[in-house]
Amino acid sequence: MSYKIPMGPFHPALEEPYKLDLICEGETVSDAKLHIGFNFRGIEHLAETRNYIQVIALMERVCGICSNIHTLTLCQAMEGLTNLTPPPRARYIRVVVAELERLHSHVLWAGIAAKLMGFKTMFMTCFELREKVMDVLQAISGNRVNYSMNRIGGVNRDIEDPLAVLKMVEALEAEMARTVIPIFTTSTTARSRCAGIGVLTHEKAISCGVVGPVARSSGVPQDLRHDAPYAAYDEMEFNTPVEPDGDVRARLMVRALEIMESCRILRQALTKMPPGELHTGDAKFNFVTGTSTSRVEAPRGEVMYSVSWREGSRNPARVHVRTPTFVNMPAIRWMVLGARLADTPLIQASIDPCYSCTDR
Amino acid sequence: MTTLESIPEKLGSNQSWVEKGGVHWLEPGAMTVRELAQAMNELHARFITITAYQLPKQEGLRLEYHWDLDGQLLGFPFQLAGNSIDSIYDLCEAVDWIEREIHEGFAVDFLGREYEPLLLRQGDQIGVNLREEVKK
Repeated sequence: MSYKIPMGPFHPALEEPYKLDLICEGETVSDAKLHIGFNFRGIEHLAETRNYIQVIALMERVCGICSNIHTLTLCQAMEGLTNLTPPPRARYIRVVVAELERLHSHVLWAGIAAKLMGFKTMFMTCFELREKVMDVLQAISGNRVNYSMNRIGGVNRDIEDPLAVLKMVEALEAEMARTVIPIFTTSTTARSRCAGIGVLTHEKAISCGVVGPVARSSGVPQDLRHDAPYAAYDEMEFNTPVEPDGDVRARLMVRALEIMESCRILRQALTKMPPGELHTGDAKFNFVTGTSTSRVEAPRGEVMYSVSWREGSRNPARVHVRTPTFVNMPAIRWMVLGARLADTPLIQASIDPCYSCTDR
Repeated sequence: MTTLESIPEKLGSNQSWVEKGGVHWLEPGAMTVRELAQAMNELHARFITITAYQLPKQEGLRLEYHWDLDGQLLGFPFQLAGNSIDSIYDLCEAVDWIEREIHEGFAVDFLGREYEPLLLRQGDQIGVNLREEVKK
């Protein structure tokens, strides 16, 4: 006999509200349906009522974890409509903040995954480390969540002493290499809870069009920082970790290795940061009529903004946001098929979902 | 790796690419959206999204389909004669949620597919979020 178990919209295993209806045969999941929309705020419509300064502040609030990525992608799209190119120092600062954001996002996810594995000590360790990343972001921007770093044509704030930030990053890297990475990659607890569960096959990953670490842990070597470089990524040397197994452990491994690659990028960006201006100096912007599109590799994968403008207008005519979780979430249905009911909280969390981004 | 220049011929199009606003655009001409989706599958391009626009002065709707091919962003604009266009869900699984979202936000009917319960909102009226006449 099959029966339905609803998980959510409010449930201890969920970071934010969404609903997963699990159809079970005994303890085994035979189908699942996802329901989103509990965080819908109509942000795309609101964007049409905001001017080019206000819309940046608005879009920073699409997501509480990767807020910087949204303003970066939006500003890159608006730079396409104003024919502005950010100066080299601004492009480096954009890389630094984007990688720090990836670090704190991945460590936050590691903590939540540890909690769902029943590995409470690791949860505390990860959140303590994440605080240190947040301290670096606060030292740079003055803020912990919405950093307000990006503007059209550059950045709002300088990193006055990159080498001081580098010291903080190196301390973080050492701590991660000493605790988080070895424990997640070698501990029996992590392995026994994660290996072989929530498998998304390579073929299904391609068919669903998943992005970011979810794609890379199913053997799809996709990373916009390499494939379509933006900011100063074309001047950085780094690897894109790829794992073939497609299970929760592969997603764990990819993110763990990405933490180390982010530290590598940060070291390069902070030591090679060129002197110069932070932005183009424009205070008023002349938008041309048309649409500009920008893509960025967020911690969860590809974010795409399409921004449309009519010349002479202060407000965008249309802002469309395609977030990574919007394409990764439907794949949860395939990951939980055949899984044990008890594993589903960890499986759904393994895509590092962001429902605020998804609903907008 | 497939070169961009070879694609229009494969698609049976006599148009050429126009690079604008970070996208390589190709006017689909007589090609239907289903023929396009089939061709993109054969090229192993990755579907990204559809962006819907309501055009000013009751000129209707435009849907822009985006695929990624080896890091290059491809765009194909389709002007809708009415409120409907063929669904490509059976050809491209990744299109499911964005077709549902546009159906709910702009009241566009994607023909040939069934809709599951609403994706992004409560209520039973489609086009409530972004379609001008419904917004009012």
